[in-house]
Amino acid sequence: MQMPETRVLLKHAEDPELRTLAGYKRYDGYGALEKAYRQMEAEEVLKELEDSGLRGRGGAGFSMGKKASFLPRGEMQKYLCCNADESEPGAFKDRELMQRNPHQLIEGIAIAALAADAGHAFIFIRGEYDLQADILDAAVAEAYEAGYLGENILGTRRDLELVVHRGAGAYICGEETALLDALEGKRGNPRLKPPFPAVQGLYGGPTLINNVETLSNVPRIVAHGAEWFRGFGTEQSPGTKVVSVSGCVQRPGNYEVELGVPTRELIYELAGGPGGGREVKAFYPGGSSSPVLTAEEGLDLPYSFEDMAAAGSMLGSGSIIVADDSVSIPHMALRTARFYHHESCGKCTPCREGTNWTVKMLERMVHGEATPMDLDIVASVQENIIGHCLCVLGDSMAMPVGAMVRKFRGEFEQVMAEAGTAVAA
Amino acid sequence: MSGKEITLIVDGREVAATEGEMLHDAAKRGDVEIPVFCYEPKLGEPVGACRMCLVEIEGIPKLQTSCSTPVRDGMVVHTRTDQVKHAQSAVVEFLLVNHPLDCPVCDKGGECPLQDITMGWGPGKTRFTDDKRHFQKPIELSPLVAIDRERCLHCYRFVRFSQEVAEDEQLQLLERGDRTFVGTFDDRPYVAPFHGNITDLCPVGALTNYTYRFRARPWDVEQAGSVCTLCPSQCNVSFTVRDEQVKRVVARDNPDVDDGWLCDRGRYGFEMFAAEERVTEPRLKGAAGGADWQAAIEKAAAGLKAAGVGKVAAIVGDASNEEGYLVQRIMREALDSENVAAGRAYGILRHDLVDISQPALSARVRDIDAADAILVIGTDPLHDSPILDLRIRKAVRRNGTKLAVATERPTTLDGGADAAVRYIPNATGAFLDDLVKSLSGSGDGESHFGADASQIADVLRDAEKVVVVWGENVAWGDGRGLLALAEALNIAEHDGAGMLEVPELANARGLREVGCMPEAGPGLSQRLGGMGVAGIRDGLQSGEIESLILFGVDPIRDFPNTARWKSALAAADHVVCFSMFENKTTALADVVFPLESHAEKDGTITHPDGRLQRVRPSASRPGDIRPNWGILAELSLALGFDTGISSQPSAFAALAGEVPFYAGITDGDIGGRGIRWQEGPAAAAFPTRPEPSGDPVELVFENEPGETTYTEARSYDLDVSTYRDLWVGPITELNPPLRFLSPRQTLELSPGDAERLKLEGGDEVTVSQNGSTIRARVAVRERMRDGTGFLIEGTASDNANALPDLAGTIAAKIAKVGE
Amino acid sequence: MSPVDGPGVSNPNLPVDPALVEGRVPDRVPEQVPELHEVDCPPDLKEHIETLMGRYPDRKSASIPALWAVQRLYGWCTPEGIRQAAAVMRVTPAYLESVASFYDLLHTEPVGTHKVAVCTNISCWMRGADELLEAFRSAAGGDEDIFVTGFECLGACDIAPMVSIDERYFGPLEAAEAETAIEQLRTGKDVLPEKALEKRPLAGDAGSTGGVPRAGDADA
Ligand SMILES: Cc1cc2nc3c(=O)[nH]c(=O)nc-3n(C[C@H](O)[C@H](O)[C@H](O)COP(=O)(O)O)c2cc1C
Ligand code: SF4
Ligand code: FES
Repeated sequence: MQMPETRVLLKHAEDPELRTLAGYKRYDGYGALEKAYRQMEAEEVLKELEDSGLRGRGGAGFSMGKKASFLPRGEMQKYLCCNADESEPGAFKDRELMQRNPHQLIEGIAIAALAADAGHAFIFIRGEYDLQADILDAAVAEAYEAGYLGENILGTRRDLELVVHRGAGAYICGEETALLDALEGKRGNPRLKPPFPAVQGLYGGPTLINNVETLSNVPRIVAHGAEWFRGFGTEQSPGTKVVSVSGCVQRPGNYEVELGVPTRELIYELAGGPGGGREVKAFYPGGSSSPVLTAEEGLDLPYSFEDMAAAGSMLGSGSIIVADDSVSIPHMALRTARFYHHESCGKCTPCREGTNWTVKMLERMVHGEATPMDLDIVASVQENIIGHCLCVLGDSMAMPVGAMVRKFRGEFEQVMAEAGTAVAA
Repeated sequence: MSGKEITLIVDGREVAATEGEMLHDAAKRGDVEIPVFCYEPKLGEPVGACRMCLVEIEGIPKLQTSCSTPVRDGMVVHTRTDQVKHAQSAVVEFLLVNHPLDCPVCDKGGECPLQDITMGWGPGKTRFTDDKRHFQKPIELSPLVAIDRERCLHCYRFVRFSQEVAEDEQLQLLERGDRTFVGTFDDRPYVAPFHGNITDLCPVGALTNYTYRFRARPWDVEQAGSVCTLCPSQCNVSFTVRDEQVKRVVARDNPDVDDGWLCDRGRYGFEMFAAEERVTEPRLKGAAGGADWQAAIEKAAAGLKAAGVGKVAAIVGDASNEEGYLVQRIMREALDSENVAAGRAYGILRHDLVDISQPALSARVRDIDAADAILVIGTDPLHDSPILDLRIRKAVRRNGTKLAVATERPTTLDGGADAAVRYIPNATGAFLDDLVKSLSGSGDGESHFGADASQIADVLRDAEKVVVVWGENVAWGDGRGLLALAEALNIAEHDGAGMLEVPELANARGLREVGCMPEAGPGLSQRLGGMGVAGIRDGLQSGEIESLILFGVDPIRDFPNTARWKSALAAADHVVCFSMFENKTTALADVVFPLESHAEKDGTITHPDGRLQRVRPSASRPGDIRPNWGILAELSLALGFDTGISSQPSAFAALAGEVPFYAGITDGDIGGRGIRWQEGPAAAAFPTRPEPSGDPVELVFENEPGETTYTEARSYDLDVSTYRDLWVGPITELNPPLRFLSPRQTLELSPGDAERLKLEGGDEVTVSQNGSTIRARVAVRERMRDGTGFLIEGTASDNANALPDLAGTIAAKIAKVGE
Repeated sequence: MSPVDGPGVSNPNLPVDPALVEGRVPDRVPEQVPELHEVDCPPDLKEHIETLMGRYPDRKSASIPALWAVQRLYGWCTPEGIRQAAAVMRVTPAYLESVASFYDLLHTEPVGTHKVAVCTNISCWMRGADELLEAFRSAAGGDEDIFVTGFECLGACDIAPMVSIDERYFGPLEAAEAETAIEQLRTGKDVLPEKALEKRPLAGDAGSTGGVPRAGDADA
């Protein structure tokens, strides 16, 4: 018997009609928007969001309400960007949310824009999500038509323009400042922080950036209140989380659970575990940027921001990639490093050169052309990257690769030796 | 920047700083060197890309880039802790991952920041053993600059230059990650007027000058600081000299003048110093080979003396203050003639000049940076004073300064301007009238330029700090309009507001102030009776003038109406020509004296904003060339007048003694950065504004400036005017690397006129006026005024100056060649 | 404000005086902002890009959408197409090429009409992505019309190993299905209809891969 999901965001998601305005309204859609726009002051909405303790679902886990409160007040044009770039290996939850329930996101954006006093909003969706972008386009058009977007929303004299902006294939654009550059029509290079986007973001104006899942949570919080939201999850990680589980499991997919459920149950019960008599060897708890945990370290941890951090990893985007005992960790490290090497924007030195160098060393290792000393160099190169880059992409490779070398050193040595013999023969 | 004075602690030492400035700069002032690659404040905001400058700041867990961290009071910074050293050496090691270790064959070797920083902060040896990135070895980025992509550090400097400074957006990063490289669209050449600056900016040997590649090594060259005198911008340069010859020109930052940039003319225009055509010894007409100096001076003096009293004249062009001063002394004191002029055809009348040059009305170059609004009128800085073009862009880009452009021909500043209008060539006076009316709200709507003028007025009206950048010709013949404009804008009342001239001659201001004007002697003292350039020409033809000194000018090429000049020079009894190069004018001269180049001479010049700058001898003079001031002093002696000048310092002392507002300025005051006389000890001695009475001296004009016909019906095809192209003249013809830039004669016209005349871009046409005809290629340009076309002055062939009445607008007939 | 880094509205573009370059560098004229009359931009493309520019506070924001439009029209971002977009947007072609070359989905070299991207990232790799990519490569043979490439994570690890064909997702696939898919592409048929992501139920719902029992929706 499986552990049940707790569906808030994915509630009614099996209904194909949900993606239309009519379908969404059948389940009380846009009720929260009406409430916020007609009955609440921006400050009240903001307070509700802060009180809910909603933490960002895009990776860093920062309090959403607090971030919105950082935006200066005043006459200047402010912006809201929904980060729908979802490109981290292992993550596919935003895709599901947009595909199945686009109006929930649009409603969340409109309410968050009210709280942040933003007049322009953008959904930056990765270019590969063509289907989802089409669905969003259609939903946005419906929302304009119905008066939930555009000028004078519901006759409240408030305006909001919402544009769906398709990216063109670059993971780095998920990094919030790179996203801004990309949205300004440039190459998606991260910017220096400070200034933070909340102060100086898109077109130089204060900008609130939130993940799709974060914003999708907003309507329910406004509809039912912060207290209700805090009724799910843990003290420090309130709410539910859509968790993408993939890799060596029998039923890969998105599962919505309360934060803090045992990780083992997510992997084994909901996703069915490795099957075929295999066992979990290690897993990334929060996408490919999170340091891998061994089965012993991780399976019994509650799935929450705080417990993953305490274990030396992170919940990140909430995407679990499972490696069973058939998976070669050195090869997995190589795949991981290759990804970051391919995606490094190239702006800063440690990441641009460090990812390149790491890939070359790992390739030599799995081809048997490396010496044990290279293993120390790989580890030291990861150390040299961490904390020295302009954005977190460099660390996102160095931390998991570093963790793999550290935790599975024996396996690396074995792979090197075996490949070496094969080469010699 | 807030400007608040604060203190911080860097490596245990207290450092005073200004709040908000970058930590790297503050540390440097406290003598703590933090290594950088990508940081270059001239390029705008820091990018923080190279990560070389990481330091530890107490209270912040992660290391921070000092190039992008503004300082705060009480900040405690460590730059040499283990953590910092580890980070710095890691960054160097990463930089070397893909950087070829080919220093022995790299042109940057010996003056390479990467080499230096690797020695100072690097890990000693790299652990990288894999293959490095490969690109095709040096390839042509432009005909002047080679790029070696393997050496690139991705410091962003060159792309930032192209995007942030020149704003041409030609140089771009292509691809992503460690595959990133710098390139241009479709691999086309990067040709833009300032592109050489990228070679100064590159911290490695990725970008090198073809003109310098493998010519010298840092240890066998010397750097000599001087000033470029090729245009009125007077940028500060440093000559790289080997074996007493200039091998390279690099920028020498002076924020008061050039902001650390050079145009490609100043940077690459030095090979002409050694051109075949260079005059390297005195020469007498009809004699083969060079002449003896003494004989030449005597011959010159005899010819000048033979002329009747007052029947001699001098025209000065490219000259230092000392040279101009000596020429006018020879005229006035040795030959008793007031006929001394600088320039081409017209000039500014003394009383106008005195009016407009009042210190209260004068702008400094720096004022552009902080202006609320800038008006560019009657000049395209890109052609006339290139560095100002960058300066104005910077103000608009960084400070949101409002920009208004009013010119005859489209300018490159139009795109960023809040208003850009075209007036009819030669109608500046009418336009100024309308503008002043519009500014003061008294326009009656009847004027010719009413609508355009009010567009410009709208941009300027509410601004306090307005800088007016005006082309010399705006004040030709009549400067009252300009003065009225200054009054309407309340320039005198506002700090930071002012007028800045873009004259035609590089040292126009200095030459006028030392007395090269027919109606003004040194210090702009009032004189009467002299002839201007056009008067001298007509005088030569009529016999009123018999002898002539030409100093650094080539009338046959550069002055309007070639035919008249040819006959004038032929009619002269005696022509003494000082020239750097042999040309059509020297061919007609009786005595030719060689001139020093600006890399060879010693002297002062005066920037259009009043800054006296020093030109220093940096290279040896080829052949038998002697200091120009010395020849002039000797010539004067030979004429029986002792100037008392025996050295360049004594020449400067003498002129400073006669120009009251230069008084007390010493060589030390001028130093490496120059000094504006307005800020000098004797600024108050500038002549006061003259009484409006007194009859102004008449200048002779071919076409009265300001006189234009506005008729629609016409018997000709097009009004044609001219402009001076950045690349025209010996600068491109005598510098082999720049030769490709030499312009061909081109007739620019508006799309409307092209359609009316059934012409297309690239068509060959003839342009005829009063029996003279030249050929030109057609170019169709947007943003032109219908009815007016433009030709280039001074081209090697089909020179527009050959058309007789080109001084003003001409009514020309256009015919397609072959039809 | 810096176009390379940092916030800001794009510079008013200030091109170099065309007179300074034109005719001086034989046939390889450096490209300024092209004038519309020089580029022969199809009216539909022009109108489309103008609409796009109108959607943003700053015209440069339309550069990625404009490049998409160029690519949809010509199959890839051809130099001519880039010049056309640049003329409409009033930017240099170099600027647009720089942007295009940064992004994996925009092609600055010719590619086939059909684009097949096989994910080879971690989750798909674990489930046979390398073999799948090989299978697609050999099924496509040397067909220049079908552009097969390995790709980083496409955000569909739940249907690993998966492929994106002409911008729609399919999975999980057996290597053998590559042949079928390519054949369907060649004959203009619907590709692998039963494997389209769109058809897939929610993971926890009955009928999905493992048939997890209907989970409880949260009450509110
Ligand atoms: C390299 C990199 C990639 C990222 N990709 C994404 C992404 O695809 N989606 C996302 O929501 N956040 C991503 N982030 C995190 C964002 O920078 C940002 O923190 C987030 O969008 C904030 O939204 P949230 O507070 O709602 O989580 C990424 C961060 C980095 C450093
Ligand atoms: S860490 Fe990597 S992705 Fe981030 S700025 Fe540096 S090079 Fe770009
Ligand atoms: S100099 Fe500071 S990051 Fe390059």
